[in-house]
Amino acid sequence: MNLLTDTLGMTELWANVVIMLIVCTIVFAVFALMSGITSWAERRIAGRMQSRYGCNRVGPFGILQFVADAVKLILKEDLIPDGADRFLYKITPYLCLMGVLATLVVLPLGSRAMIVADLNVGVLYFISITSIVVIGILMAGWSSNNKWSLLGGMRSAAQIVSYEIPVAMALLTPILIAGSLSMGDLLDSQGWLPWEWAAFQTPFSALAFFVFFIGSLAEGNRTPFDLPEAESELVSGFNTEYSGFRFAVFFMAEYGNVFLIGLSTTALFLGGPNLPGFLQGNPFLSVAVMMLKTFFVMFVVIWLRWTLPRFRIDQLMDLSWKYLLPCALIAFFGQSVFMLVAHEIPAITPITAIVVFIVFLLTMVKFFGRIRTNYKEQSIPVGLN
Amino acid sequence: MNAYFNNIKNGIQTVFEGMSISLASFFVHPVTIQYPEDDISSAENLKKTYKGQLGPMPENYRGILDVDLSICTACQLCVKACPIDCIVIDAVKCDKSKVQGTKAEKPAVKTRTCTRFDIHMGKCMFCGLCTLACPTGAIAHTKVFEMNKFQLQDLVLPFVSEDEKEKAIKRDSELKAEAAAAKAAKAAKEAEKTEEEK
Repeated sequence: MNLLTDTLGMTELWANVVIMLIVCTIVFAVFALMSGITSWAERRIAGRMQSRYGCNRVGPFGILQFVADAVKLILKEDLIPDGADRFLYKITPYLCLMGVLATLVVLPLGSRAMIVADLNVGVLYFISITSIVVIGILMAGWSSNNKWSLLGGMRSAAQIVSYEIPVAMALLTPILIAGSLSMGDLLDSQGWLPWEWAAFQTPFSALAFFVFFIGSLAEGNRTPFDLPEAESELVSGFNTEYSGFRFAVFFMAEYGNVFLIGLSTTALFLGGPNLPGFLQGNPFLSVAVMMLKTFFVMFVVIWLRWTLPRFRIDQLMDLSWKYLLPCALIAFFGQSVFMLVAHEIPAITPITAIVVFIVFLLTMVKFFGRIRTNYKEQSIPVGLN
Repeated sequence: MNAYFNNIKNGIQTVFEGMSISLASFFVHPVTIQYPEDDISSAENLKKTYKGQLGPMPENYRGILDVDLSICTACQLCVKACPIDCIVIDAVKCDKSKVQGTKAEKPAVKTRTCTRFDIHMGKCMFCGLCTLACPTGAIAHTKVFEMNKFQLQDLVLPFVSEDEKEKAIKRDSELKAEAAAAKAAKAAKEAEKTEEEK
């Protein structure tokens, strides 16, 4: 900033514009690369979970597959169906992408200093800006003049509106812990040790963590909540009629959403980029820690997709209104009561956190036991010829 | 109310179990055999590049036919057995010899040899009847299944080369000459005998 104004003699306004453009370019490049790599990772992981290879032809381990796909999509004809609302049809993909991309303004790629704009209403901004995607999807469904697309759009609207509520409710729990809506304060309120993370603070915040995670899967239109693009029922849902570059933009928004689920879950519940005291403030390490956690959450998202079948629409609504919303309310209420108690007896906070974390660890031990048994069962040779 | 909590319990348990199954299969080697790169001809070759659970080509696979002419007696039983007549054999006489086939324990007597043994693989339906009919096991299926050709006539497999054919015909005419000479000698001898008797 100073460099631009002093040495190049720019006015403050122009310096701001230049810096803004640079930051936008960096964030967009990271986002585009991430969505591409996510699509590759999804195919590889899906392949391995189904006992096949996945893409392994273009580049080492097929990692350049997403470049090949993008080139293929850009070379294709951009078709607009007869009777479509041409203006809406054309702008919709960019609206969807914008809704996803705009959340990166408040989400940290590294430590607190690496948030593009640390708004004091960051979490509120995050919740509201993601709702733009639903308008985009609804517009795509409406403007394509196609019944399947319209049904997909309507489903998506119903789904995202329902899941917004438990997600927002679940987010109140880390907000209570941090006492602030700003993303930077939320990061600072958590430590680097697992029992200092918001997710393992109390049993209630653990509940809120799971509600938030399930809800954001639904908001990102990921399986088991991918009803808007249910292939078996709606051809391809809201993006049936899109082809070429516009489809690529939809695709990018969809896979970028996975990245966003990872980023937001990490930042809000899994301790963000926090490092042990003597390493605090190291920018590279904090980015590395943040990305590592994000990739792990993304792996879980992909893993869930290839494990669970798709919900029926009524089951989807049941899950949101009858199960997740009460859970989120219990989490919020319980956390509030807990904080009142902890105000009187401060020692209770670390003890609860450690107990919750130990319970989580024991569950994981049991889980890995199950994985070992299943692995042994599956690696018995099938004995074909 | 009970059903409500049961639903939650079942949901958590099934997701827990399902996720452990899918992560377990994440660590199992892929079953896919990447065919042109993995050599599937035998178990040893396959094991070099492939770590999954499947085996190589089965031993009794009916690929394209192969003929071992050294033990073929030109008996034409395969020609008769073939339901679509895709085998053609021309045979001539040869030196009498004993050949040990792969099927029977007793050696077979070979008096004839092929001058032409063509199999039209384009017509062949891989039923395996010719291999059943063959008394010596000279005609047998191989495990080879890569037999695409650019021309249809390339699918006609000639098992007797031109050299061998000429050799066999030459030997056959020699044998015929010998036989004729022997016959003439015998006739002359008999004539002599009858004359003597007179």
